[in-house]
Amino acid sequence: MGESANEWNLLAPIIPFVLVAPLLYAQGWESVEAAFLIVVIPLLTFPAILVTGQIYNGNETWKNRFKEGGIFGLGALASSLSISLWIAYDYIAGSSHFEMHSVVEPFSWLTFDVLHYDGNQWGVNSGFADIGVGVWLDPVSLMLLFVATFLCFLICWFSLGYMNTDPINEDSNHRFYGEFVLFAIGMFGMVLADNFLWLFIFWEIMGLCSYLLIGFYYWKDSAAAAAKKAFLTTRVGDVFLMIGLLMLYDIYGSLEFAVIFEDPSTGVGGALVNSTDLNWALLMLFIGAVGKSAQFPLHVWLPDAMEGPTPVSALIHAATMVNAGLYLVFRMVPFVDVHVNGVAGLEDFALVVAWIGGITAFMAAAIAFVQNDIKKVLAYSTMSQLAYIFTGLGAGLLFLNLGEYHAGYFVIGASMFHLFNHAMAKGMLFMASGSVIHEVHHAHHHLHHDDHDFDPQDMRNMGGLASKMPITSTAMMFGSMSIIGIPLIGGFWSKEGIIAETWLAYLHKEPLMLGPAILVLATAGMTGFYMTRMWLMTFAGPPKSDVAEHVHEGTPWIKEPLIILTVITALGGFLLALLGVVDYLGGEKDYLAMHGVVDTLKHAFLPDDNELRAIGWTTILLAAILGPIMASRVHGGKLAEGVKANPLVGWLVNLSSKFGSQDVSDMANSQLAEALQRRLYFDDLYEWIVANTAIPFASFTAWFDKNIIDGVIKQIESNSVSGSVSVRGITTGSTRDYILMAAVGMLSIFALIWGVSA
Amino acid sequence: MSSILTDIDLDTTMLLLPEILMLLGIVAMILIPNLGDATMRIPLTRTRVPIFIGGTRSEFSNNPKLPNTIASGVLGLALLTSFIYLGEEADVGNALHINEFSRLFTLLFTTALLLATIATSTRMPAKPKATPPLVADSDEVADSKVAALIDNRRQVDFHILLLTTGLGMSLMAMATNLFMLFVCLELASLSSYVLVAFHKEADVGGEAGMKYFMVGSVVSAIGIYGMSLLYIWSGSLDMVDLAAAWSAMETNDPLAIIGVGMMMVAFGFKVGAAPFHLAVPDAYSGASSPIAGLLATASKAMGFVALIRLLLIVTMPPSGQAIWMLSIALIAVLTMTWGNLAALTSDNPKRMLAYSSVAHAGYMLAAMAAIGSGLADTSTSSMILTAVVFHLLILVLFKLGAFLVLSMLESDGGGHRIEDLHGLVRREPAIGVAMFVFMLSLAGVPPLSGFLSKLLMINGIVSVSAGTGAATSTTVADWAGGVDPLFWLAVAIVLNSALSLFYYLRIGLVMFFESPETESGLRKAPNLRLAIFGCALLTLLFGVGPMSEWLLDMVTSAVDSMMGL
Repeated sequence: MGESANEWNLLAPIIPFVLVAPLLYAQGWESVEAAFLIVVIPLLTFPAILVTGQIYNGNETWKNRFKEGGIFGLGALASSLSISLWIAYDYIAGSSHFEMHSVVEPFSWLTFDVLHYDGNQWGVNSGFADIGVGVWLDPVSLMLLFVATFLCFLICWFSLGYMNTDPINEDSNHRFYGEFVLFAIGMFGMVLADNFLWLFIFWEIMGLCSYLLIGFYYWKDSAAAAAKKAFLTTRVGDVFLMIGLLMLYDIYGSLEFAVIFEDPSTGVGGALVNSTDLNWALLMLFIGAVGKSAQFPLHVWLPDAMEGPTPVSALIHAATMVNAGLYLVFRMVPFVDVHVNGVAGLEDFALVVAWIGGITAFMAAAIAFVQNDIKKVLAYSTMSQLAYIFTGLGAGLLFLNLGEYHAGYFVIGASMFHLFNHAMAKGMLFMASGSVIHEVHHAHHHLHHDDHDFDPQDMRNMGGLASKMPITSTAMMFGSMSIIGIPLIGGFWSKEGIIAETWLAYLHKEPLMLGPAILVLATAGMTGFYMTRMWLMTFAGPPKSDVAEHVHEGTPWIKEPLIILTVITALGGFLLALLGVVDYLGGEKDYLAMHGVVDTLKHAFLPDDNELRAIGWTTILLAAILGPIMASRVHGGKLAEGVKANPLVGWLVNLSSKFGSQDVSDMANSQLAEALQRRLYFDDLYEWIVANTAIPFASFTAWFDKNIIDGVIKQIESNSVSGSVSVRGITTGSTRDYILMAAVGMLSIFALIWGVSA
Repeated sequence: MSSILTDIDLDTTMLLLPEILMLLGIVAMILIPNLGDATMRIPLTRTRVPIFIGGTRSEFSNNPKLPNTIASGVLGLALLTSFIYLGEEADVGNALHINEFSRLFTLLFTTALLLATIATSTRMPAKPKATPPLVADSDEVADSKVAALIDNRRQVDFHILLLTTGLGMSLMAMATNLFMLFVCLELASLSSYVLVAFHKEADVGGEAGMKYFMVGSVVSAIGIYGMSLLYIWSGSLDMVDLAAAWSAMETNDPLAIIGVGMMMVAFGFKVGAAPFHLAVPDAYSGASSPIAGLLATASKAMGFVALIRLLLIVTMPPSGQAIWMLSIALIAVLTMTWGNLAALTSDNPKRMLAYSSVAHAGYMLAAMAAIGSGLADTSTSSMILTAVVFHLLILVLFKLGAFLVLSMLESDGGGHRIEDLHGLVRREPAIGVAMFVFMLSLAGVPPLSGFLSKLLMINGIVSVSAGTGAATSTTVADWAGGVDPLFWLAVAIVLNSALSLFYYLRIGLVMFFESPETESGLRKAPNLRLAIFGCALLTLLFGVGPMSEWLLDMVTSAVDSMMGL
């Protein structure tokens, strides 16, 4: 909120929203009974924002007091957050309620009979299709629900500063907040859904909002193209996802979690499930997840998606929506868990997941080396970190399918914990980058009014901002540390687990895991390099342009979320690791709440197993030492004379200058760098494929549509119209004719009845 | 006489409260506007005592809003009481039987009438051609013009007719005797003919009323003739007796069959089934919009009650196909196709809605045919009938709602050309959106209630018929060859719905995308606006969620009470 303290009073309208949860508690509601409100309250709010915004656009009160709808959006998200905190409290603290999952009985919307072919004959199955709505809660959905509601709330708060102070957004912010809240509905609904069908429906709502918000500046060609690219690329995945759902339905005769997970080894009518069928179904679902989470080979949309406003990048394309794919893969655990009713023989599927993860992690990290746009670096980093989680899940699925359930639960828990750490850190990093971009843009606007070629996102225009933006630079430092996996901070606790278990899977179970194992280990070092490079290019060294000299941190509403998330990133990982969150998320039934500081540290740094110790220390060496030092040699440096950064980040600036500077212009001009700049030619390849397959096919279908389909439709249309004219011709307007027709009708009835009865 | 009177005890009388209220309303409507300062000389004296009836009327009794207020109040109370007495069941005399089914229809009729009354409150001038005085008018002319404006004779006549329509319909729904049923039906019908002709602001009003009356009376004559044949055949017009005689009949008696056929003609006209519907579009487009809406909902529901009684109570065999099934099925297909085709090129929204109402009658008749096929067991029959009654109920919301919107346009002189709807969303966003909701619901778009009822009807037909092709077939073609022809009725409904989307969405298209002829808003009429928004909201609420389940439960139990389950 910064300068003007009296802006706090703008928050008054959100009080009733926050009171929803306490009031319901006072009424004696169970928290899970209120869970549907997490979706319903935003669902009522988003049309209100859009409609009111349309009516009161330009109105002073609407603009200043209600922030063009932002306050209402914040209120709705606050109520969702408070209800999900209430559920979390009940779920974790109320130990007597503790079960691995709980479901609120779905209420039935429509039940209808389905014409069904069972292989021999057609028949009517009454009540076959039952479209119910229910809530499914287990540790992971609870964690993801918290992540989603918490980050939605913080990022909405951040947007009040980021969006509403930029004149370019004026009078269209209600569109932003409306779509933002609609997105939140999709995310919350997807997490709470108790069956695959609703999960898919909300998944698609998110896809729609992603499209709308990437194209928020729709008048810019690049934004419109990026929106289209994101939509179409994820659509490819979604089509496969839908095929996968149909296959699942075919196997189990239902899409409800409760029905399927009851016993995944028996399908509809008690038949044993064939692992080949299931393999294909899961693979189809996984392709959907690959599209949504921007993994190789459907990763091309995510960097372009940064055309959207920065809060959108933070929320949708880093912290929440892209996790949907991970969540979907996590949902596949019961299928493979042979320890409880899983289907054996799905190792191939697990390998595919791990390999896709490994390849994406490495590739994205490599491309991130050469990006100069601060948001693009973060985008590739997102891809790379999500890929870690996929690798971890793949290793976990492999373990579980081979019966090694302790290792499996552990690595799946670690993966989900990495999801949490990454979402918190990356949400914050994007907000911090937004803060940088916003202030650079602001400063540039002050200095050069009419120069429009300046790119406020280009790190080559920054440098030395550590002294000018103390909060932002601190936040970004902790975020980067968490992503790199600097010991003790955030992502370290989860990344170690993923890498170690992937190696163990190779060493003890499956030689083909060697690839992912090597790739994720290499990526750990690369992450250290590119994250450090980004931070140093932005904050260290002398200012690289006159704009960077005039930046200062002053926009209200931006700092609070950064501070909150910095604290969570810095301390949260360690505290949660102490609490045994990995076992909890992994679904270990005999998990113990407190592990104790010594145990936790020992487990992380000096495990009994020699292999684990070697892998762990290699990772630390690569990620925390080698990568950052190399980045410092290229990009490190002291700030300009006479300015000082705050001590939290000052040490890092000074340390980086110790490694001297190395000229890398030869390397920057090499073919490899060029290939990385061109994103390894994936975009060109896809463009070539599309140009040679889809476009000719599209021109053929356009021709077919125009001449054959439209021809038929036109024929139907003209026949209908002429039919209509002739039918209306019978209505002459003369009563005599009317009575004549009635008489004809009567005689026909006589004839028909007589014919039937005779 | 006395025997009937002694049969009726006070408790049962109370159950007739909605009807009694409407009757009292008619009396009040005659008396109150006539209150004046008239006096009467007591014969042989010079003393004059006030008798209040006649003379110079006070401002109160002369108020043009008065009849409307009385009618709204009476109908509102009738609606409330019929809701309160919904669960009651009793015999009144030996020709009326009150049960949930008949009370549900009283509810429907009074709701429709109440909405029509609300729509009339702000639109009807005292005289067809009355105009407000101009500044240039001389004092005398101005006075006479004002007097013409505030006179309430015309409103009195109009609202009395509305109340008699309601009374006739409401009694008709509880008739257990065909004769009683017909008398009540005629009471309502004759009033509605006059109501159509009442629209003298339009040149075609009188003509429409006349045509409607002529065709209607011929068809009624046919119906009464058929009824007399039935009486000759069985000696009773009580439906229970007739049903017993029908099921006892071993070989089909031509007298009975011809009688039933003739009555089908009479009731077919009431529901607007082809080919008896030809006067319907003329009547709707000639009548004022609220009255057209009334005809499309309440009057149609009345026809369906009569058809349900005749077809399902009297002539439904305990097993096997009813003899009327084939003719009803063919009429259904003819009706929906004719209605939709004719609506396709109608440029008059009222005519378009009239044809759409014909098409809807076709859908409901198709559902009736599914019951008549004899393939449905009792619970399935009840389910299908529930769908039909549910559809009739919610039609009041979105069909009459659409007519209410037209009524708003009409009171400014428009409403009979599609151009009047151009850019309505820009002129009146809320009203335009409500109209769009009505159109979508008419077209049967989820999640609106029009979708739910259509889905239930199609589901009924499919669940009855689809299983018939199932026994041994292995391919779709095989199955399609073996399935009961009834199944194709469902296909006909689906195809017709696709056809109908064109003209419903066209209304939406012109409302959103054409530029309006005038930028001015519509008149204020807060009650009418409230009614329109209420209709639009309920259209949504009855389509999905707990309220739709509540209404469906209510209809199911009403249908079960009628079918004696």
